[in-house]
Amino acid sequence: MKIICVVKFVPDVDSLVCDVETAAMAGTDFRMILNPDDVCAVAFALGVKASSPDCHVEVVSMGPLSVRPHMEDLLRLAVDRGTLISDPVFDGSDTLVTSAVLGRYIATRPFDCLLTGSRSLDGGSAHVPAQLAETLGLDQMLGIIRIDPQQFDSTRAVFDVEDENTVTTYEMAMPGVLGVTRQSGYKLPYVTLTNMRRDVSDELAVITNQDLGFSETEIGPAGSLTKVVKTYPRTYEKKARHTVGNDEEGISYVFNFLKEKGFL
Amino acid sequence: MDKNTIIENLGKILTPAQVNTDSEDLYDASADRYKKYAKVRRVLDVPVPAAIVYPGSAEEVSQVLAFCSEYKLNVIPRAGKTATEGGLENWKENTIVIDARHLDKILHIDLYNMQATVQAGVPLQELEDALREKGFTTGHSPQSKPVAKFGGLVATRSIGQFSTLYGGIEDMVVGLECVFPDGHISRIKNVARRSGGPDIRHIVIGNEGSLCYITEVTVKIFRYYPENNRFYGYLVKDMETGIKALREVMVNGFRPSVARAYSEEDAAQHFYHFHKNRCVLLFMAEGPEGIVQATCQAIEAAVEKCRDGIVEQVDSELIADWFNSLNWSQKDIDDEFEAMKENDSHAGFTTEISADWETIPIIYNNVIQRIRQEFPRAHDLTMLGGHSSHSYINGTNMYFVYNYRILCAPEDEMRVYHHPLQRIIVEETLKLGGSMCHHHGIGKFRNEWTRQEHGTAYYMLEKLKQAFDPEGIMNFGTIYPQEEGAKYQK
Amino acid sequence: MKKTCIFQDTEKTENTTDLLEAAERMYGRGQFESHAVLLADSFDPLMGSFHHIIRVARGLVDSYDPRGICDILENLHKENRFDSILIPGTSLGQMIAPRLAKRLGTGLAAGVTDIKKNTDYIEIIRPACAGKILESIVHKGNGPMMMSIRPNAFEYTPGEPLQTVVSTYTEPVNSQSAVKRLHVKKNRQTCDIRDSEVLIAGGGGVKDIFPELYRLADALKGTVAASRKLVDQGIAPRSIQVGQSGKTVSPRLYMALGIHGSMQHLAGLRHIASLISINTAANAPICRLSDIVVQGDARQFIDRLMKKIAAYRSKGNEELT
Repeated sequence: MKIICVVKFVPDVDSLVCDVETAAMAGTDFRMILNPDDVCAVAFALGVKASSPDCHVEVVSMGPLSVRPHMEDLLRLAVDRGTLISDPVFDGSDTLVTSAVLGRYIATRPFDCLLTGSRSLDGGSAHVPAQLAETLGLDQMLGIIRIDPQQFDSTRAVFDVEDENTVTTYEMAMPGVLGVTRQSGYKLPYVTLTNMRRDVSDELAVITNQDLGFSETEIGPAGSLTKVVKTYPRTYEKKARHTVGNDEEGISYVFNFLKEKGFL
Repeated sequence: MDKNTIIENLGKILTPAQVNTDSEDLYDASADRYKKYAKVRRVLDVPVPAAIVYPGSAEEVSQVLAFCSEYKLNVIPRAGKTATEGGLENWKENTIVIDARHLDKILHIDLYNMQATVQAGVPLQELEDALREKGFTTGHSPQSKPVAKFGGLVATRSIGQFSTLYGGIEDMVVGLECVFPDGHISRIKNVARRSGGPDIRHIVIGNEGSLCYITEVTVKIFRYYPENNRFYGYLVKDMETGIKALREVMVNGFRPSVARAYSEEDAAQHFYHFHKNRCVLLFMAEGPEGIVQATCQAIEAAVEKCRDGIVEQVDSELIADWFNSLNWSQKDIDDEFEAMKENDSHAGFTTEISADWETIPIIYNNVIQRIRQEFPRAHDLTMLGGHSSHSYINGTNMYFVYNYRILCAPEDEMRVYHHPLQRIIVEETLKLGGSMCHHHGIGKFRNEWTRQEHGTAYYMLEKLKQAFDPEGIMNFGTIYPQEEGAKYQK
Repeated sequence: MKKTCIFQDTEKTENTTDLLEAAERMYGRGQFESHAVLLADSFDPLMGSFHHIIRVARGLVDSYDPRGICDILENLHKENRFDSILIPGTSLGQMIAPRLAKRLGTGLAAGVTDIKKNTDYIEIIRPACAGKILESIVHKGNGPMMMSIRPNAFEYTPGEPLQTVVSTYTEPVNSQSAVKRLHVKKNRQTCDIRDSEVLIAGGGGVKDIFPELYRLADALKGTVAASRKLVDQGIAPRSIQVGQSGKTVSPRLYMALGIHGSMQHLAGLRHIASLISINTAANAPICRLSDIVVQGDARQFIDRLMKKIAAYRSKGNEELT
């Protein structure tokens, strides 16, 4: 079976601190991590490979060259092939353009299933997997919490999707696009100490626009139909601590607090 | 000799009930808290001992040791199991762990001569509780007090929270009994002081099980005056101010029972409710009324002298309150174990060093800077800081604390995080002439630097080992570096 | 006259009208024509709010088939040339909107929470970076403005009822998904304290009255949690322990009764929106972090607060009848 995992490296948002004064994200060198949902996608693929050694896993990502070390770390696990699509002309592309670029490359590759995450930590739009599916003429589902390894092959996949109230089981014909979420709990193993220094740089393929051939107007900001004009931190009201007693006044204060916040 | 024969023979020297070969217990006995994470995740890389034995007397210890000497079996002396530096880790096949569990009697409490005698397997808390009932205290209060036992406390030259007043274990030990690898039992009698040749107690105190097995200890006891306890707390600008204040009190001739200066991050975890991102300076005075009063005056004067660096005073009740919940219990240890099973994290590690007054702040700053710049996983650090908690007239300690997200395979955690951090701390300390091991012992994981630590005096340690443990059966790898054991460290 | 197309909120049909508020922000009340596209059979609550309701004929497309639904919306757009297409940010919506945007070659903003009308352009606002920042987005190009709207971000105040024209869409759908729904299970209500929005947590100070916490939890639709002290004493099970060696929680409301607030306990608290601590010692470390500190006996507190809640609720009932 041939699986392609489409992944994104994002800033470690959990450790990002917003500078309220300058309205900028503090620190310019925040660490990049593999998007948590995407971690699960790769983890599931490697799990399939562990039980069926002739399964081929390729990881594809579109991003700056600075994510190369992260791609190399994936190659130090059991990933068979790593492809980084990177070119300065792609900078500033919105999700529509991104999915077109990814789609053009992936269309040249054989695959039975595209595994992705559902939502990215930074943008969080969940657009790319769906638009990628549309570009390639495939079905797509997101929010997957479990894929049945016994019913996952080149013809079909059976999986569970969770929403607020229900867990729904679907069957999708392959090839298709499956978007897992971090709720699935699929865990990626860590690169072992002995593998950490292994040189895998020649196992990583870097694809540029030379290989893909988009025109200037199709990519980057020029090709994007949405534009982020401003970002600002979410301001939270400053918390003031209020001390009360167990008397009528105190209880009323608590009661009103609960009522206002909608807990009653 | 093969394992089964060993166990059979031990069963004859002692009774079969005193020989434990349960696989879980043996797995647990293969490592101590240095590799706590790998242990919980069941990926220890060291061999499992052959058996744990529980002798009931010094004679039985003697027989076991003689047997091990004859057949060149590695021995690990063990009591409370709270070791943190690999002192209890096993690096040999067919090791015998000698556990002091049955040496658990308080033999004598002498309130007139101010001495208490216990067997090595008595938990410190037990003696402390017995003394408190009568209005006395051991004065010894390491954080492991509820769990640690006397054999280990003496073997590691342990120190407690009130050491600035009462001293470390070495100041408290009067006499002791120990057994050497050839089976010889030595009893050092209890006298207040003597000059009868070199003080041979110090061959035993701190030997970390590499020279002999401690079976009995007599310690001094002290009157306990809880009603006189007084606490002081301050927020200070930086570590330098804190250390200056500590020094001021000490060099002027006073002895608070507790004198501590915490760096910001270390303070944050203990004092989140009042530290306001500052360093924290705290004192405790205890003892007879007059002494407490004088000590308090001295503390206040010292703080006044350093007032440029003092931000504000903290409510003493908060300090008293904090102090009362400081010690570990077995529950805390078990709890951390449970947490390590599920999460890729633990409660952190420490490396404790010492130096003189002017060198300590330099070492502190060097270490923090070097870690932040050089340590490849600095971005995974969730805490990095330290505190001074044991002061002397001529210097103090620095207790570095560090914790990190564990983003690697469990079996690699020690080599990716713990050991490299410890290395930086040790190197910076030794560079400036401090000691790399203030009170936890060298164990196995600092034995790379034992020679550097002792310099030309290492000769004396070496000779002791040759004299008392010529077969090298006592706790292979502890204190003395061993080529064969390097694979478990690097 | 501007035209907007609003796709149904398949999780809660009545919420479909909330998207009208988004349209109003863009165009002004009464300044646009609204077309609702529904898969549902019954839609009475929506009558009078939309100019047009287009019902998709039953059986034409599966309710979980984003590709088929895209077909329908694409055709409707070809016919009507909408100025904007608004889709609720439900799980289904999140699969439809991007595909439709791709097909129509137009820009799409996801999870929109706010819209500001400036003099010459419309500013679309959405959270990013796990909610830590807000992005302002503008739409470029000639295609319809597309948005997926975050649930509950907008609220519609109905105006004068409109004369809704109802029609049925019957054109056959071409691109079907090869997806079959096999079965649906109700999501078991996990009693995991990590899933609860409201936690009523007890510490050593309430060891004698721990069962009382359940009353309060019921009243506030929350779950009971405990600090290590109570678990150690066997009063509470380990599964509800909050702390370094227990679970880490992020509820909207954390009520800490008789909890001291040791660092081990605090290690289990992450991103609490509102923290109320009830303690006889106002100096307890946890009080420092609380929004409200109630100094007093926990049992009294529970009794008195419960009385007040009961009175409020029965009054509410009276008013309804």
